[in-house]
Formats: sequence, structure tokens, C-alpha cells
Amino acid sequence: MRLTYPHMGEAYIAVKALFDDLGIESIIPPYSTENTLRIGVKECPEGICLPFKIMLGNYVKSIEDGADTIVITGSCGPCRFGYYGPLQKLILEDMGYNVDMIILDPLKEGIGKFINNIRRLSNGAGFKAYKVFMDAYRVCEKIDELNQVQYFVRPRTKDKARVNSIMHEFKSKVLSAKGSKEISDLIDTTKNQLLALDIDMDMNPIKIGIIGEIYTIIDPFSNLNAEERLGDMGAEVHRSMTVKDWAENNLVKPLRRQKPYELEIKLSKPYLPVLIGGHTQQCLGHAVNYALSGYDGLVQIYPMGCMPEIVSRSILPQIEKDYDIPILYLIVDEQTGEAGYQTRLEAFYDYVQTRKKKRS
Amino acid sequence: MGVRIGVPRGMYFYKFYPFTRRFLTELGAEVVPSPPTNKEILDLGSRYCIDDACLPVKVYHGHAEYLKDKVDYMLIPRLTSISPREYICPKFGGLPEMVKYSIDKLPKLIDVEINMYKTRRNLINSLLKAGSMLTKNPYRIKRAADKAAKEQIMYNNDLLKGDLPCKYIDNADVQRCNTGPLVGIAAHPYLLYDNFINMNLLEKLSSRGIKFFVPEMVEKSVIEEKCKIFEKRMFWSSSKELIGSALYMMENDKIDGIMMLTSFGCGIDSLSIELIQRLGRRKYNKPFMVMTLDEHTGDANFNTRLEAFLDLIDRRQAN
Repeated sequence: MRLTYPHMGEAYIAVKALFDDLGIESIIPPYSTENTLRIGVKECPEGICLPFKIMLGNYVKSIEDGADTIVITGSCGPCRFGYYGPLQKLILEDMGYNVDMIILDPLKEGIGKFINNIRRLSNGAGFKAYKVFMDAYRVCEKIDELNQVQYFVRPRTKDKARVNSIMHEFKSKVLSAKGSKEISDLIDTTKNQLLALDIDMDMNPIKIGIIGEIYTIIDPFSNLNAEERLGDMGAEVHRSMTVKDWAENNLVKPLRRQKPYELEIKLSKPYLPVLIGGHTQQCLGHAVNYALSGYDGLVQIYPMGCMPEIVSRSILPQIEKDYDIPILYLIVDEQTGEAGYQTRLEAFYDYVQTRKKKRS
Repeated sequence: MGVRIGVPRGMYFYKFYPFTRRFLTELGAEVVPSPPTNKEILDLGSRYCIDDACLPVKVYHGHAEYLKDKVDYMLIPRLTSISPREYICPKFGGLPEMVKYSIDKLPKLIDVEINMYKTRRNLINSLLKAGSMLTKNPYRIKRAADKAAKEQIMYNNDLLKGDLPCKYIDNADVQRCNTGPLVGIAAHPYLLYDNFINMNLLEKLSSRGIKFFVPEMVEKSVIEEKCKIFEKRMFWSSSKELIGSALYMMENDKIDGIMMLTSFGCGIDSLSIELIQRLGRRKYNKPFMVMTLDEHTGDANFNTRLEAFLDLIDRRQAN
């Protein structure tokens, strides 16, 4: 069994650590590029959301590299993600690729099936699998820390190219690191490298929070490196959802019998009292949270046609008014052009900065 | 007459209006539906709704905007789930909020949540909550709900036999034809029965001597059975109806061609149409066409495509 899984930002690092520790051979699809997207777009229905297209491209690339089993998580919420697996399998079959697909649906969809899947994936590790899983979770936490450092350093240092090269080096080295131990060490080294740069500690950059659909904000390819672009302009960004958050709320908290997303649900209650699917409540909750913690602006990113985010998009103007915080709405799909995107980000950055200067 | 309650003619209006009308009338309210969609309403909708929402949501906004000065209350229910373990679409769940934050000066909203995800009995609480805005007497609400439910069952049975909702709701019927080929139309009710959005499709077909078959004519049990071909359970009721009836139409020999209507940006349809196409192509060999509608759809190109499709059916039959 040669496993593969689609890209979602830095998720591959944790998943790689997990499978390495379990002793399962896994193939990381090559980093998403225009070509990946082109493969996906060619075979996908035109109206489907961007993550579907990128993921399909990832599969094809991995299969060409010799993968024969695909693992993805599933869901049965009203978001389209829940039916990604079955349709992608159908498309791959029609393309002539015969692969196995393991879809990890949530526990409530049938315990038997879930345990069966876990047994297949855990390579007979038994209870050791829990420890390995927690190790991988700790890798997620480390990645978050690394990102925080990067967000802090990028606007404050003059040598932005050096930040880029450190991060690139990390990306290429992590592919050859094995297991959670080595990966954690590598992350620590990278972090120290970033902190050793010449940082202007007195600088007070504007702060921008990134909210929106989970895939498009986590995956830098799908949002055309929005974080990097804003950071290079001189803004300190913060991303509302990370792989660690996802794992914490969907895997760790249910195991510990805690309620997931408590803060977000509480903050979004005045605007949207019930769960309607996707991450609408989280998106609204984070927006309120950022506004309350003194952020200067927000950027909402979501793929064209994303059903839950369209609902948040129509509620966000009210939050914009109530908390007096500017929001930029960015919709991405395979047609998104880089120049227009950059212009809009620059204009937004200028606007937020002028606004901040006038107020202080 | 009591309070005037407005019901926007959009989304699942053509599915549940008889129930709504009976329930509210029994409680002493005057029910005011908005008129069938027209150019003005569509324009209002595209002006007030955010631009990347799908067509039915925009139309719904238009109806709400049109009605807002004419009524005391407006009924915009939050249809999270209308059958156990199934959702409809996130936009149905967020509809009251979408309207509330896009349109100013709305009358008081009746935005009860109808969520039968866990059990159908949640409907009772929702109805009690909605009814308590009009009367304090729970027995009166129960009697109204019983009568409304009966009415809805009769309505569903009429549709199953082949009647169209407009006959029941507006007392206006489409002239039907009995001779020509039979075309199956798989689409959501808010596209299929809104004659303005779908460019009068049903009348156009009838005037060309074509019979049509709609998803409402398929039994629930048949739809359930057809959807069993998927390993994973279908968790959208809207998509289930679409896929189930489309697959039924593919299998039924009496039906000569299948046409699907979808609105631009419909999330559920982008998946279900692809599933139908890919599954249909493997087994069956029937004329199949997808028409995408949005507020810019023009009559001329719609007609051209329709004619081409009908020619295809004719040619198949001639051979």
C-alpha cells in the first residue's frame, strides 16, 4: 500500500510525520502548481469549488509517482466537501486510474466503518497509534508556532528575501526529514534562523486578520500567497484557522469530551444563532474576535461558489459596521489573476494604514 | 382580517406553500404571497443581494424587497433540514440572515428554525413557536397544523399524479399536450415552476407538442432506492430528489430525453449533475442537456439550445 493524500497548506508535514512514525510508506504529492490546477480543471465540473480541482490535480500527480491508495477526511455536513471523495473517485475511474480511496468519515456515521479504516491505516500499531497521533498533533502545534514567528518577523525585518529563502529551504528539507522527531527539530532550527534576522522591535505594523473558507486560507497556492504578500507590504497578519485548530476541534476535543469551537460559536451568536454548515460560525466568530482584539483590518478569502461562505459574506458587512473594521472580500478560483489580486491587496493595505494613522 | 403575513415567492415556495397558507389562515392571519417573478423583482433581487449568490437566492431577495412595505410580518423560515439526517443547502439555513443584513427596513420576521435533522418531531416545536406569534392557544395551533398537514398531503398527491403547482396555487394551468415525445425535466422546484426565470419552459414545450415529466411525479420510495447506488449516503435532500428522479428518468423507457435546469453558482447542482452525467453515461444512451440559468440568460439563445435538443430527440425517434 502506497498512500497519498491531497495538499492543504502545511498539513502534509503533520500527516507525513504520522505515517512515518507508523511505518507506512506515503507519497507527498508535488507542491501544487499551475499545472496541478490545470489537470484538475480539465476533468472537474466547472461549477465545483477550487479545493476540489486542486485536490484532483494532486491525486493525479501522486498516482503518476506510484501511489495506489488515497486518504482523505470526509464529513456529512451540508458543505460540498462531504461528497468530494465519491465524486473524485468516479472521475479518477473515468480517467482510467484505478485507485483505492479511504474516506475517514466522522465517528457518528458508523463506528464499524471508522474503526475498520483506522485499522487499515494504523498498520497494526494498536494503542501505539494513539501516541503516534499525539506526536503528529504536537508537530501541528510546532508548525503554528513557526508561522506565528514568520508573521511577526516578516513585516519587521528589512531582509524579506532572506525570510523567503529560509522558508523555502524548510519546505525542501522537510520532505527528506523522517518522523515527528526529525521534523520537530527542523522546525525549531528554522524558527531560530528566522529570529536571528535583524528585527526592528519598535516597529508597530498594522494588523490584518485572515478569515474565510478553511482550505483557501490555509493553502498558500490557492490564495496566491496572500499572507506573504501582505507581510511583504509591511502588515502583520494572523490566520484564523490552522491545521492544528482543525485537528484540535475535530479530533482532540471530541476525544476529551470537550465542546469544539466554543468561543467562535459564542461570538457569532448575535449574527447567526445556529450551525448551517461549513465554517460560517467560525468565520463570523473570528471576525468579531479580531475586531475586539484590536486588529486594523480583515481579509475574507473563499472559493467562488462556496455555499457557507456566501452566507458569511452577506453577514460580514454588518460586523464591519458594528465594530468599525474594514474587510476586504477576495474570491478565488482558477481564473484569479495575480496582478488584479496584488492591486486589491495593496489598495487595502494603503487604506488600512492611512486609516490607522489618522486615528492615532 | 387579522395581521398580514407576507410569503416571498422563492426557494421552497412551490413545495410548501399550501401548508403555509392553510396553517396561517387557520390562525386568523391574512396570507399575502408576492406575485410571480417579473423583471422588476429580479432587478430588485440582483441589486440587494450580494453578487456571488445563486439565482434563486437573488430572486428571493427581490420578492422580500417587493413585499416589505405591504405586510405586517414576513415569513422567512430557516429550513435547516426537512428530513432526518439530511440537510438542504447551507443557503437555506442562512436565508433569514442573508435577507436581514441585505435589505433595510424589513417588517418583523417570522424566522423559526425548522430542523428535523435529529427527529421529525422537532417540527412540532417550530410550529408552536411560529403559531404563538398569532395566538396564545396551543390547541388552536395544533388544529391548524393538522389541517395544514392534510392539505399538504393532498397537494403532494396531486403533484404525484401530474398536476402542476400553479394550478393549485394560482388557479392557472399550463395547456398540456398528449401526443409528442416525453421529456424529463430534472430541476429544483424554484427553477422549474418559476416561469419567468426558466423562460416559460413548460409552456414552450407544450406549445411545441412535447409532454414533460417532472421530479414531483416520482414516488419518494423510488427516489430513495435510486440513491442507494452510492456507497456514501446522500445527505442533501435537494440533491437526493434531483439525482433520484434523474436516474429514474434515465431508466424509464417511456422518457425520450432528459433536460436539467440549474442556476449558475448552485453548489449542490455542480456535484449532482456531474454524478448524474458520469453515472448516466456508463449505462444509458439518452439525449441529455444541462441549461444553466442566471439573471443574464437571454431568451434567444435559450430557445436555440432548446430547439437543438428537441431536434436531437426527433432524429433519434426517426431512426
